[in-house]
Amino acid sequence: MANSIITITNMKKQYPEGKGKFTALDDINLSINSGEFTGIVGPSGSGKTTLLNIIGSLDVPTEGEVITLGESIGKLTHRKAAKLRNKNIGFIFQTYNLLPVYSVYENVEFPLLLLKMSASKRKKAVLDALEWLGLTDKIKSRPGQLSGGECQRVAVARAMVKLPEIVLADEPTANLDAENAHNILKMMSKLNKELNTTFLFSTHDEKVIQYLTRQILLKDGKVVG
Amino acid sequence: MIKFLLKGLIRDRHRSLFPILSISIGVTLTVLMQAWVTGILGDMIDFNARFTTGHTKVITRAYSENMQQMASDLAIVGVDELTDDLEKEFPNMNWINRIRFGGLIDIPDESGITKSQGPVVGWGINILTDNGSDIERMNLQKAMRAGKIPTKSGEILMSDELAEKLNVKVGDDATFLGSTMFGSMAMQNFVIVGIVHFGTTALDKGAIIIDFKDAQEVLNMENATSEILGYLPSGKYNNELASEIANDFNSKYSNSEDEFSPKMLTLSEQNDLKSMLEYMDSIIGIIIFVFIFAMSIVLWNIGLIGGLRRYGEIGLRLAIGESKGAVYRKMIYESVLIGLFGSLFGTIIGLGFSYLLQTKGLDLSSMMQNTSMMIQSVYRAKITPLTFYIGFIPGLFSTIIGTALAGIGIYKRQTAQLFRELEN
Ligand SMILES: Nc1ncnc2c1ncn2[C@@H]1O[C@H](COP(=O)(O)OP(=O)(O)O)[C@@H](O)[C@H]1O
Ligand SMILES: [Mg+2]
Repeated sequence: MANSIITITNMKKQYPEGKGKFTALDDINLSINSGEFTGIVGPSGSGKTTLLNIIGSLDVPTEGEVITLGESIGKLTHRKAAKLRNKNIGFIFQTYNLLPVYSVYENVEFPLLLLKMSASKRKKAVLDALEWLGLTDKIKSRPGQLSGGECQRVAVARAMVKLPEIVLADEPTANLDAENAHNILKMMSKLNKELNTTFLFSTHDEKVIQYLTRQILLKDGKVVG
Repeated sequence: MIKFLLKGLIRDRHRSLFPILSISIGVTLTVLMQAWVTGILGDMIDFNARFTTGHTKVITRAYSENMQQMASDLAIVGVDELTDDLEKEFPNMNWINRIRFGGLIDIPDESGITKSQGPVVGWGINILTDNGSDIERMNLQKAMRAGKIPTKSGEILMSDELAEKLNVKVGDDATFLGSTMFGSMAMQNFVIVGIVHFGTTALDKGAIIIDFKDAQEVLNMENATSEILGYLPSGKYNNELASEIANDFNSKYSNSEDEFSPKMLTLSEQNDLKSMLEYMDSIIGIIIFVFIFAMSIVLWNIGLIGGLRRYGEIGLRLAIGESKGAVYRKMIYESVLIGLFGSLFGTIIGLGFSYLLQTKGLDLSSMMQNTSMMIQSVYRAKITPLTFYIGFIPGLFSTIIGTALAGIGIYKRQTAQLFRELEN
């Protein structure tokens, strides 16, 4: 049996809207195995971000069960959820979300500061991650001095630096041109193969789709294929 | 992590330099205002105490009804006995006699014909009497513009404006015309030996200063005085202490049936100084309140803007597994740091300016021409223990409160909600 690290059963997510409720996700059943390179594909507003946030323990399901790395997301306390993210999940955002006052090196080092790690180990991890993404010559730059493609590579390095089990990437190529989009996907695909990290994307970008090993189609909060 | 956050704090001027600057400015202003108000009002009170009110003052009930009249027929008689009593009852206090009186001064020419004439207020103070204790109390040495302080009976000082108006100089003769304690005509020749300027319009406009004994003689006030001024041993006015003494005295010596019985007033019961004292307390209260209020709002806004600017960072920190509580706590720690620095700089700068104003003072005499109030015309700040923390503590607290208010928004929001906002 394949090793399932994300299991979703009969999940529903509702947001309060005026006096009633708005259903963002409905009757989701999914299982994602370790080492997959999966995309959640759907138009804007279909619920992709919501789904990733719940899997990543930044949000909770309204009904049903979501199990990420053996933890039931709906039952986690704030601190336990934080710990799960801290140890095992890397996030990549559409808008890179780099910290402008820190150097590339410091941005990548940041997630390791929460993990109690020795300074020498930390340095090695950061330099490794920067090398995977071809950023070794940008170590001292600030995000403001980088191109969009370079920024997103820094963001990938930051997500990868702690060698998480899962990387959740919310429309990572939406702000990139074709060349940079291909570039970044090739790098992530390589990392997926070499390090066996599970990648879960959300996207509606055609360019991304060719790299995926599996597609989950989402429409109006429902899985349609 | 702490080092990392500090690095960010220092590099991001919107989070460090600008808040520190605004706190410093607020704290500086508060410190300066407090020292300034305390200095001016304190000087005013001290000035009044030295020249007119004492810390306490004994007069007759009748005299108290209309002190401005300075009526010598309403004087206290039997001063020596009363002074003995006062010294026995309140041995720590310093009791001195003073006579204030009204009249005319007449300047004759060589042939004895009136050259000029004008109304005067006479001050009978201790120059030759009581070891010249009023020389220091009224700062006579400093007030001298010409001539010398009287060294024998019959010598007087005249205020500079009056001397100019009457066209007299040191060494000229002057004749005082008035009425005695018993209502008969008083007339006495004096030599003007000095010209004085006190820096207070009430005294500089038209005063002559003579020795207390001379005043007693001229006005026929044997063993009598118009006022007995009392000074607390500390030399500083203390309203509670003064009131206690006055109540004690009045219960023993004052008789509401007898209008010539003595009555003791405190400084605050004279010259409207009570409202001045209350004003001083309330103004300092208002400064602090306004400061905390205004600064909290300013810092709240700085915090909000800073918080908005930091959504990315906060979202990221949540994503990499810091809990909301930890993020919020660290924001508060940062604000403590910012508040400390801002308040410290502000207090130092404020103290610097206050010190300048305390030593140099600000001369506003040209703006005070027409006042007859007993106030000095050089304004000085006064640094008190309160000055050191009046800005510091509110500066620190308003920073923390401002950040806490701003941070609650972040704290209360759902993590997912923060992320949605982060995306836009
Ligand atoms: N916190 C929220 N409160 C209310 N409605 C929300 C919230 N988050 C998402 N939604 C709604 O849920 C739907 C799905 O949103 P989202 O997951 O962001 O879609 P996608 O990422 O596919 O564009 C949208 O209609 C959005 O308006
Ligand atoms: Mg989305």
